[in-house]
Amino acid sequence: MNPVRLLIMAEMHGRDLTRRHAALCLLVALPLSFYLVSANNANAVAAGGVGMAFSVSGAALFSVLSSRHVDQRLVLTGYQPIELLLGRLLFLGPLGLVIGGGFSTLMALRSGPDRPWVMALGVSAVALQSVAFGLAVGAIVPLELEGTLVLIGVIGVQLAVQQRSEVSKVLPFYGPRRLLNSSLTMHGPIAGPLFQTALYGIGMLLVTRIFISRRIDIERHDLLE
Amino acid sequence: MDLSVDAGEVVALTGENGAGKTTLLRICAGIIRADSGSVRVAGKIGYCPQVPGLFELLTADDHLVLFGRGSGLNRDDALRRGHATLAEFGFPLHERTLVRDLSGGTRQKLNLALALLADPCVLLLDEPYQGFDRGTYVNFWDHCQKWRSEGKSVVVVTHMLAEFGRADRVVELAPHPSRATRRGLR
Repeated sequence: MNPVRLLIMAEMHGRDLTRRHAALCLLVALPLSFYLVSANNANAVAAGGVGMAFSVSGAALFSVLSSRHVDQRLVLTGYQPIELLLGRLLFLGPLGLVIGGGFSTLMALRSGPDRPWVMALGVSAVALQSVAFGLAVGAIVPLELEGTLVLIGVIGVQLAVQQRSEVSKVLPFYGPRRLLNSSLTMHGPIAGPLFQTALYGIGMLLVTRIFISRRIDIERHDLLE
Repeated sequence: MDLSVDAGEVVALTGENGAGKTTLLRICAGIIRADSGSVRVAGKIGYCPQVPGLFELLTADDHLVLFGRGSGLNRDDALRRGHATLAEFGFPLHERTLVRDLSGGTRQKLNLALALLADPCVLLLDEPYQGFDRGTYVNFWDHCQKWRSEGKSVVVVTHMLAEFGRADRVVELAPHPSRATRRGLR
């Protein structure tokens, strides 16, 4: 793996996304609107988290989909599939954390959680998990409509089901959601949800790695003697 | 199918729609796997796909740097080499236009320049002149002669009968078996 290639991939994804001005606005506006419309009820923080999951995982999904015609050609020039994946991660991860940072500050000021730092941790977990989730969906379902529907479906179900239900526990945002809820009291768990988030996130990245390689890796031919 | 292309040879690959010209080139490039058989190459491959695979919101320079890094070129070398090729094909280098805003022919020039960026010894070009204006089209075939003299192995998918004379050899793929059967050719 070549770190310079990772950086150049991250740089180019950054250039691509920062030229999508409407998309950038929506990345911030979506979680904000989810949070503000429910700001006066108990689910405001969870709703904000879901809005953030939609926007960041959407950005990650489309970073995979918009480059699927180019990826194989980049591998042909010498990139490894893992470099393409990590290059995206290198840009999208910090981007999610920056958006999450601003969003946690707003929620901490407006919702007044008992443990604001746990809320920041929860929002960061949502952001990072969203990147892994969006990349995984993009790798497994490399088609715009199908991928978007899977993304909406999974996050929608996460919002619809009770946190204690069995279904909720197998969904990718179970850990981050527990963290966000923990921030509202002085007694909620922290280590467990963080571990769940990390485990699920790593699992999704491994799945992404497998599917990306199967889709874009090329056959290296024998050299003539 | 058994095809061998020597160094310093230009082969025109032709055949009906669906005969498998693009598939053959993609197999040679390593992008898809053949059901059977093998491919051996003499060195680095430059592949120019029929449909330019480019990022809509990046500029030509961004592409040169991105593709150049994959080939092991640093930023300056990638830009220098890429600009030289683009200039030969009349690409408007003074504009920092996003690919989204380029015309079809101009995109194709960038597409071709990316295939040439790493100075490959094998060139697989799938109708690389689509959208080229008349002058650039002639220029492209002139470059085939140049690449021949540089010792490159060049395979160009083409339907242009008038240009067959520019190739050292014309290879025509048989129609796809399903079509041949329908027409009683099998």
